Amino acid sequence: MSTTGLRRGGLTLTLLGLAGLTGLYWMSFFWVSTEINQGVVQRIFYVHVPAAWTSFLAFGIAALLSGVYLWLRDPRLDRAASCAAEGGLVFATIMLTTGPLWGKIAWGTYWTWEPRLTLTLLLWFIFLGYFMVRNSTEDPEKGKRFAAVVAIVGALDIPFIHLSVGWFRSLHPQPVVIKPEGPTLPGDMLATLLTGFAVFTVLFFGLFLFRYALEGLRAEVDVRARRSTA
Amino acid sequence: MTTYLGQLRAIVWKDLLVELRSRERLTAMGAFAVLAGVLFAFSIDTTTTRPQDVAAGLIWMTLVFGGLLGVGRTFHLEAQDAAFQGILTSPAPKDVVFLGKTLANFALLYVISLLVLFVFALFFGLELGPNVGWVVFVLGLGSLGFVALGTLFAAVSAGTTMGETLLPILIFPLLVPMVIYGVGATGRLIAGRPFSEIEGNVRMLGAFAVAALAVGAVLFRYVVED
Repeated sequence: MSTTGLRRGGLTLTLLGLAGLTGLYWMSFFWVSTEINQGVVQRIFYVHVPAAWTSFLAFGIAALLSGVYLWLRDPRLDRAASCAAEGGLVFATIMLTTGPLWGKIAWGTYWTWEPRLTLTLLLWFIFLGYFMVRNSTEDPEKGKRFAAVVAIVGALDIPFIHLSVGWFRSLHPQPVVIKPEGPTLPGDMLATLLTGFAVFTVLFFGLFLFRYALEGLRAEVDVRARRSTA
Repeated sequence: MTTYLGQLRAIVWKDLLVELRSRERLTAMGAFAVLAGVLFAFSIDTTTTRPQDVAAGLIWMTLVFGGLLGVGRTFHLEAQDAAFQGILTSPAPKDVVFLGKTLANFALLYVISLLVLFVFALFFGLELGPNVGWVVFVLGLGSLGFVALGTLFAAVSAGTTMGETLLPILIFPLLVPMVIYGVGATGRLIAGRPFSEIEGNVRMLGAFAVAALAVGAVLFRYVVED
């Protein structure tokens, strides 16, 4: 796809995502019924859980593309991986800020060493390392390879982190949607949550395409600049 | 296969010989371990906490920080005079270079981890009794996982402009499973619990070490190619 096409696609998806976000906020503030035990604070769930899902999706894409990049060495794969990682970092930050806000009221504490919370925090730092490595080499090609290695090792470490922090302790609410006996969430809450998933996913892919097109332009400018000096 | 092992032995031997002659990293790590033990002993208020109860965590922290000190300099010496380029252009495959460096680092760190255990047993009044063998074994598994990740990322950070500063940022999040299982196992052993209670932890530490070695052996070639 051409850069213009990518930008147009990115713009369409982003606008769609933003419109959906307005709808999601309306739904979670005015439409969905208040949860009986937790009260109004539970509404943060419709932002928190979709953000969590999106960041995991984004980090997964970044790790996968990094692996393929080391194999095929197509610079487009590396660009896409870094754009996905950036999106993952943004959505993980949303998850890490909404979580403690809810936790302060529901658990009575901003922070606890709860497995999923810990895992997200560690993922956040792994991908911080990804960008630090990327931006601290003299040769950009080296930085790309190093970053890909960080993403792959990070992804492979996740099962270990997941098991170990779970063994350490667990306090987080148990899953309410994906579990063997089917969702146990009331209809309107499930609808709002699923809207949240859709909206955040569309928004992520919109921003991702936008960033990817931008990085493509940057690479093109680099090539032209090099050609004119040569 | 025999060439593979021969190359491996050559690299391990070379690294250990350099270390034995210079004693640069061993001295630094050893002194660090003892001094960390001294500082940690002062960091505990013995009127509220029993030193034995927190020793396991402090042993592993000393191991991680001390290990970082030594492992971070794995490629330091050879970066001068472009000696490392010589190793890379040798017929030895990259995974042999990685495994050789990792095993040499392991030998160093294992010596240090035994020293750390001795220092803490002395300063914190640990009575390990019949569990001492298992503690030594658990520390060995932990050291192996640590040096595998540490050596891979030491090569990464050595190639950046930030150098060793970057190493802890890269490996601390990845080391969390090792610390959790290692401290859990060591703490229970120090408290005199039987091995059957920590069998799961030991399995996870072993799996972590094996996975780290395998991943490092595969990915090292992408780090050092030029």
